[in-house]
Amino acid sequence: MILKTAWKNVWRNRVRSLVVIASVTVGIFAGVFAVAFMNGMIAQRFDAAIDEEISHIQITGKDYLLNNDPEIYMTPEDGIIPAIKSIPGVEYVVTRTIVTGMASTASKSAGVQIIGINPDREKEIFKLYKTIIPGTGDYFETESKYDLALIGQDLAKELNIIRFAIDSTVLSKLRNKEVPDEITTKLEAFSGKRFSNGKKFISTVTSVLTSHELRQYGQLIREEAWSYRENSRMILTFLDRENNQVSSVFRIAGIYDIKNAIFEQSQVFLRNEVLSRLTGIDESSFHKVIIRINDLGESENITNEIRKKFPGLDVKNWKELQPDLAMMTDYVHQIYGFFMVIILAALAFGIINTMLMAVLERTKELGMLTAIGMNKKKVFSMIMLESVFLSITGGITGMIAGWGTILLTAKKGINFAQYAEGMEAIGYSAHIFPEISASFFIMVVILIFLTGIASSVYPALKALKLDPAEAIRTE
Amino acid sequence: MKVLELNNVNKIYDGSEVHVHAVNDVSLDFLEAEFAAIVGPSGSGKTTLLNLIGGLDMPTSGKIFIDGTDLSLLKSSQLIDFRMRNIGFVFQAYNLIPVLTARENVEFIMSLQKWSKKDREERTFELLKAVGLADRADSRPAKLSGGQQQRIAVARALASRPKFVLADEPTANLDSKSATTLLEIMEELNHEEKITFIFSTHDPRVVKMAHRVITLEDGSVVSDDIRE
Repeated sequence: MILKTAWKNVWRNRVRSLVVIASVTVGIFAGVFAVAFMNGMIAQRFDAAIDEEISHIQITGKDYLLNNDPEIYMTPEDGIIPAIKSIPGVEYVVTRTIVTGMASTASKSAGVQIIGINPDREKEIFKLYKTIIPGTGDYFETESKYDLALIGQDLAKELNIIRFAIDSTVLSKLRNKEVPDEITTKLEAFSGKRFSNGKKFISTVTSVLTSHELRQYGQLIREEAWSYRENSRMILTFLDRENNQVSSVFRIAGIYDIKNAIFEQSQVFLRNEVLSRLTGIDESSFHKVIIRINDLGESENITNEIRKKFPGLDVKNWKELQPDLAMMTDYVHQIYGFFMVIILAALAFGIINTMLMAVLERTKELGMLTAIGMNKKKVFSMIMLESVFLSITGGITGMIAGWGTILLTAKKGINFAQYAEGMEAIGYSAHIFPEISASFFIMVVILIFLTGIASSVYPALKALKLDPAEAIRTE
Repeated sequence: MKVLELNNVNKIYDGSEVHVHAVNDVSLDFLEAEFAAIVGPSGSGKTTLLNLIGGLDMPTSGKIFIDGTDLSLLKSSQLIDFRMRNIGFVFQAYNLIPVLTARENVEFIMSLQKWSKKDREERTFELLKAVGLADRADSRPAKLSGGQQQRIAVARALASRPKFVLADEPTANLDSKSATTLLEIMEELNHEEKITFIFSTHDPRVVKMAHRVITLEDGSVVSDDIRE
């Protein structure tokens, strides 16, 4: 009966209760969706880092990472690869040869790290081969009389290999993709103009389109407007083993895009035998070993095991290689919990206010209930239940709204094309896919329940202090 | 059999500016199935006396025994429980729970006492029939007239078969027809259930129906007439 009475009491003042429930709904929806959004961003960053940049564990010679000295390398005689492959939990192992150099075209040059890889083996660990921009080539599949190099999109832009241009072909493609005429008409003003980098292009497009138009079509316009001249070439210059300067022409095998500007600007990939030939470093020698494991939770154990086997080498797992990422993944749940606690604390004040009004309005009734025999425990329980019902009702509707929005956006993602350049500069994709775990929902339910209980304490104590004889006399 | 005993009960309100001797050395006994009215002018101490009898207030001195239990020996939580099991209340302003139906209001006390569903339903039906409102069982108080609400309040007060029912000016807010109907029902229930009714009232109709009339003046009992 207390449960039934408490539930009915919630709807005694329907408007007031609906306002409180609506505020809890909005607060929970905002919190849940914000967390899903942040989760999606971090998950994508994590996946990109592991699958495209660093993998799980890396091994280099002692002090190699201090100045990337090419003379600090490992050889098959060290017995490293077989020993690592024998460790349970190790899935794949690849080696890389690395030198530092300069990439140049006729107009520009840039400092780069030149990495010699075995392309087929690399596919076992990294998904770089899936990130080749269509129309720019492939992953070392097409042969050429020149040696091949794979470069990042941002390096290609830096070297003016990629440019942005709006011409009749681009406008036609946009019209075919149902971009409204009012937009293509505005873009016609720049027909024939070439932009040396994306920033200038976006700035110009932003100046003529509305924010709504940019949100709807910005990404599509950017994708269609950039141009790449096939079979472009560049020169790589570096030092060989004898400290002699070596320059060689490379054809761009393909341009990769992993949504990480810093990585794309600096990392150039060649076939290992090519780098070996040009530097004089033995093809079987390597500067770095990269390891992919089965179970992420075992990365520290496996790292320690490798360190024990090879104390003379520098062994680092993904947390040590990218401590900022480690910090985010390690503390993200605490951050989310803290975030939700703040939201719920704010909502709690609204519930306390409502419950206080409800108690003060019912002074006479509460006095009567005590008079006829409702003890303090039951009075407290009734007030507490009313508070919990308010918070749970709003919480559930908020979670349903949040979950529904996450479902809708998880498949297609949310595109922040207008911020793509800035986000990719710090390693984040501009296309976010929100995601949330069941454990987070459970945590939110518990927090909402606790908020309801906590919000009821003060109003319930107020109710308990009523003198029944005086309360009944209240007008 | 005595259901209620007051021995030299005094209640003094000692404020900073006012000293009020609201109940002055009152000694009364009430037997089972009595139908008694406490009358007196405003300020004579009727409501204070009723509050003391009902355990809603504690006497400054003297003892109150309900069915042999000394109320002064009960802790606050025990007193609430004791009230629930032994005393029924009918208030001037009905004081039904507005969100519950007539049936649920009557069942409320029984559910607090953890009666089984079957027993609750049986007793509720019996009482609603006795007060003539079995057909309005599912109506909320807002849909009932004043007289009907007060009848539901009487049914609620009797639900758990208390030792006695305290009714503080139960007819004050009713029209004459409703008041008469209510009193007739209460008299009939008093006769059938053998439960003592103690009224605090100004209403001459209540006084006329009462089997015993206790007159209070300035907190003291000035007369105690038992009628055949």
